[in-house]
Amino acid sequence: MWIKKYDFDYGRRMLLEKTIKGVAAAGVLAPLWPLIAKAGDASKAYPDELLSIEAYTKGKVKPGDVITANNVEAVKDLLDPIAYQQVKTMGRKINIVESTKDVTKLFPASYLEATLKNKGRAKLDSVGNVYTDNGEPWIGGNPFTDPQNGVEAMANLTLSWGRHDYSMYAVRDWDIAPDGSIAYQYDFVWAELNTTARADGKVWNGKKDLLRYQSVWFTSPQDTAGSSYLNTWYYDQRKFPDLYGYLPAFRRVRQFPTNQRFEPLVPGVTFFLSDAWAAGDPMLTWGNYKIIERKPMLGAIGPRNFMGGYNDNYERTVHGGPKNQTFHDVWMELVPECIVLEAEPTGYPRAPVGKKRIWIDVRNGMYVAYVTYDRRGAIWKSFEPAYAQYSNDKVTIKDAQGHPAWSWVAAASHDVQANRMTRFVQAKEVKGGYQSGYGEGSQDVYNKYLTNQAIARLGTA
Amino acid sequence: MHTRKHSAGLLTAAALFGLGSALSSAPAAAQSDSEDGGFFSSLFSGMDFSLGGFIRPETAISTGSENPYNQGGNVFNGVPVMRHAGDPLTGFGPILPNSGLTTTLTNLGLGPLLDAIPVVNGQLPVTDTIARPVPKTDNTFNMLIVRGELEAGIRFSSDLSLVARLRAIYDPAVYDDINGGTLENSAGGIAGGDPALYHHQPNMFEYRVEGDSSPNPLEWDGKQYQVYFPALFFEYNHGPLTARLGNQQIAWGQAIFFRVLDVVDGLDLRRHSILDNAQEEFSDKRVPALGLRLGYQFNDAVLADAYVQKFQPSIYGNPNTPYNVIPTQFTVHDRYADGGYDDKISYGLRLKGNFGQWGFQAMAVRRYNPDGVFRWTASGVNQNLPNDNLFGIAENLLHSGAAGTQTTGELLAQTPFEAAPGGVYSAREWFHYAGMARLNAVDGLNSAINEFTPSTTALLASPAGSVDAAYNELDTFFMAAGGALRGHIAREYFAENVFGLGASYVTDGEPGSLLDQLIINLEVSYTPNRVFTAPSLSSHYLRENNTIGALVLEKYQRFTQAFPATYMVLQYMHRTKDDLFGRSLKGYGGDENSPATGIKGGANYVVFALQQPFPQDIYRVSLATLYDPRGGILVQPGIKWKPRGSITVDAFYSYINGHLGGNPNKNALSTADFADEFTLRVGYQF
Repeated sequence: MWIKKYDFDYGRRMLLEKTIKGVAAAGVLAPLWPLIAKAGDASKAYPDELLSIEAYTKGKVKPGDVITANNVEAVKDLLDPIAYQQVKTMGRKINIVESTKDVTKLFPASYLEATLKNKGRAKLDSVGNVYTDNGEPWIGGNPFTDPQNGVEAMANLTLSWGRHDYSMYAVRDWDIAPDGSIAYQYDFVWAELNTTARADGKVWNGKKDLLRYQSVWFTSPQDTAGSSYLNTWYYDQRKFPDLYGYLPAFRRVRQFPTNQRFEPLVPGVTFFLSDAWAAGDPMLTWGNYKIIERKPMLGAIGPRNFMGGYNDNYERTVHGGPKNQTFHDVWMELVPECIVLEAEPTGYPRAPVGKKRIWIDVRNGMYVAYVTYDRRGAIWKSFEPAYAQYSNDKVTIKDAQGHPAWSWVAAASHDVQANRMTRFVQAKEVKGGYQSGYGEGSQDVYNKYLTNQAIARLGTA
Repeated sequence: MHTRKHSAGLLTAAALFGLGSALSSAPAAAQSDSEDGGFFSSLFSGMDFSLGGFIRPETAISTGSENPYNQGGNVFNGVPVMRHAGDPLTGFGPILPNSGLTTTLTNLGLGPLLDAIPVVNGQLPVTDTIARPVPKTDNTFNMLIVRGELEAGIRFSSDLSLVARLRAIYDPAVYDDINGGTLENSAGGIAGGDPALYHHQPNMFEYRVEGDSSPNPLEWDGKQYQVYFPALFFEYNHGPLTARLGNQQIAWGQAIFFRVLDVVDGLDLRRHSILDNAQEEFSDKRVPALGLRLGYQFNDAVLADAYVQKFQPSIYGNPNTPYNVIPTQFTVHDRYADGGYDDKISYGLRLKGNFGQWGFQAMAVRRYNPDGVFRWTASGVNQNLPNDNLFGIAENLLHSGAAGTQTTGELLAQTPFEAAPGGVYSAREWFHYAGMARLNAVDGLNSAINEFTPSTTALLASPAGSVDAAYNELDTFFMAAGGALRGHIAREYFAENVFGLGASYVTDGEPGSLLDQLIINLEVSYTPNRVFTAPSLSSHYLRENNTIGALVLEKYQRFTQAFPATYMVLQYMHRTKDDLFGRSLKGYGGDENSPATGIKGGANYVVFALQQPFPQDIYRVSLATLYDPRGGILVQPGIKWKPRGSITVDAFYSYINGHLGGNPNKNALSTADFADEFTLRVGYQF
């Protein structure tokens, strides 16, 4: 039984009104962030219809239900267009759970603390880079809790991708052919170390001119293992990262051009470097940022998406597609308010992408859905993430500060034009013995994973 | 792929290696409340074992000609060639009024004899016609092998690991080839050289040197199989220091295929020579060596890389194997072991710095040049000249062995020659192959005579003063030998210092334009006093200061929205003293009628290559071209198809034309002109 304080369409009307008026503050009934700062509870900022899928769908869908082709129409406007088609035509199913009210479950604790601590101190300079009110590189957390424009919303995504000062993701990837079979499988490791915009408020090793080091190295299969790349991101978001790569065939580290960010990484993988975190490129190399809408969405953001205790390596059950291999099982919930952001690759005149559209949860500034369009305007690919606090009824994983960890758990990139699916999980461990983890601990991660010498070493033989 | 953690076997191995202290520094990673590890679990928490590999049949179907450097592909097989004997008394040349011989005979009152000898331009009225009596071969396949590789990694801790890559190759040897043991003539069979290389069917894989039949560590070869560890090393990393100890390969420099700063390892040209997919560079070609490599990353920008390793030479294809390029009329005595080179070391240091758009590197290396150099050496084969011909009879009468004198066989053993089949049968063949091998036909003859006196003069050989005299003399001795002489050469190695500098720059241009993100790289190396094989095969090797430079332009460019970026690379190389394969340019320019003239101005090469992936990179087409402006080109189109993760299909065609104009012996690529072929590789990985 739902007690309606407001009429059924109130929330959606208010979000539309905010969009039209350009009101930036998150929340419908009350500003969101003071509530989060006070108790970490976002529920008082929204009416029931934006907090309850049952209310939103007038009882057609409720927690515990599964979205299938039979009932997907009830949530069509809560899914990105590709997810809707997946359910409608490809046998995808989406589990529905209660919405997360406790916003602390949507962040790493230290990142939320930094966001609250530094709230209001971020400014965009004349070119669009983020600095503090005293002109320093950003000092951690989301710089713009209530983004005033698209660039600010993008800054929340870009400055700290994984919300940890250091993350290492052990990634296991499967690539599904149009016939529904698994055509490729890769293991790789992704490491990112922020030098600025760190939740600990420090500048790593005095590197104020940099934003991050980021490397990726493949560990399986044999013909791909050892391919390693190192990106060094400048703080100035107009500059392309330096890119060096180690290819086993060449036995040495070589320099690569950095503006080719829309290329297939390895055979069968559908996403590009540009797609990482929906913010894979320096944000000022894109342009024409526009917030086109504020609306609720379905997002896989709750702890049920964490597979710890259910699978030894955090891998996921799958279903759907011609051979029941195409889609991860995920648990989605109603996200009360998302910014819908569009941007165009203005710095990449030859990019095959015409624009991207990103749905960003205003509570944590993280995207819950992301699609790209080709130059003709036709929808091309989706990049759908799933996140979780790493704590469920079976196991709790802690981050370096001893809090329950938070991170992404899985993602899927569907190229609908080629009908190829890339889906991957953040595994506990992948081939080579690399494990996912957050925080540098006692390790010298820079020298271990994030230098030219490191990627040559990671290239093994 | 299999990954296993905490295996008892590995724990034992770790204990044996005394790794306890290192193992305690397991990587920081996610921790679980519910996981309760004990002491040993913690100790080995970073330990991991992984294994992967592939198996790949590789086939190269010949569309070119037979390998002319092999017995069966010799261009003179079955071709009638007239030989014209010369007169040793006239030095095989015309009688000159003021020559020493004329003066001597005149002083002895024997001047009238000069008129009695029917010599015209040094030629006696003795001729024959010989068709090189070795059967022609006809091969469909240049290569038919199965390759398997296993790669294992044992990660003892976040700091210490063991990397092992094992490669095994089997060749069923279905080739049409020549068994050296079946060649016979009146002098006998082939007696000199390593029997495993020269007296039987071609030995596809064994690298054998004088005094050591398996000089490569961690390698086990047979005639038809090869098993070795391209990599087997411990790796230790702590902070900015990385150390690798064991058998390993090292590649330096940014230029691909053109080896300017890539001087650490020699090349292994067994298997598929340089004719693998050019854009894979030398992925399975660098000869691994036992050594220690240290790397130190000073900061983001600067790193140092140093090594010291056991010297291992480059390995050429064995006689009569499909890609052999040393004419099989030669018998090679590789002195790597008995010359004491197998306990030599090479070492070097490289500094590399990246500063935004700029990059720099500098290196200094003290090494033994792995290419080695060749010179005439005494054959050691005591095989008399046969008595089935006039000259053989005359020589044997002159050197009967009576009264303590030496026989012709004993004398020949002290020269670089062996009277045996499968050698050079005519002066024309000698000149032809000297040109192909970038040697000087006349100087080569003369040094073989001059540097092996008195045996050579006892056999009435004398240095040739002209091409005609050389022709006459050569034909005379080939006749005397019952058909052919085989030449014996030694391979030796010399130390050298190599200094190198490199700079790179990444352009900033209009986004999307051809000049945006163009990577420009310039590399130069300088080797003072490098030792080269003398075109005369003299033991007085050539010593020259050698400079090698390469300019490389690399670009990824999207030409259409529908296809990923095209990778293009344009490279230019200039070498002042040698060619792409390290041969002195002074040996260039010979042909059947004249000795090498050498070429001036250095050697130049241009490479243009591209790769075009298709969407999702499931197909990738490629093109590689190598152009020698003096008349040679290699064009290699190819396609790679990866329909599934476990399967990769590579197909490429190699077209090599070394006679685009002028003397083919003036460009480097004519050496491989024969090897037009279609290669197919189908790999299955696990």
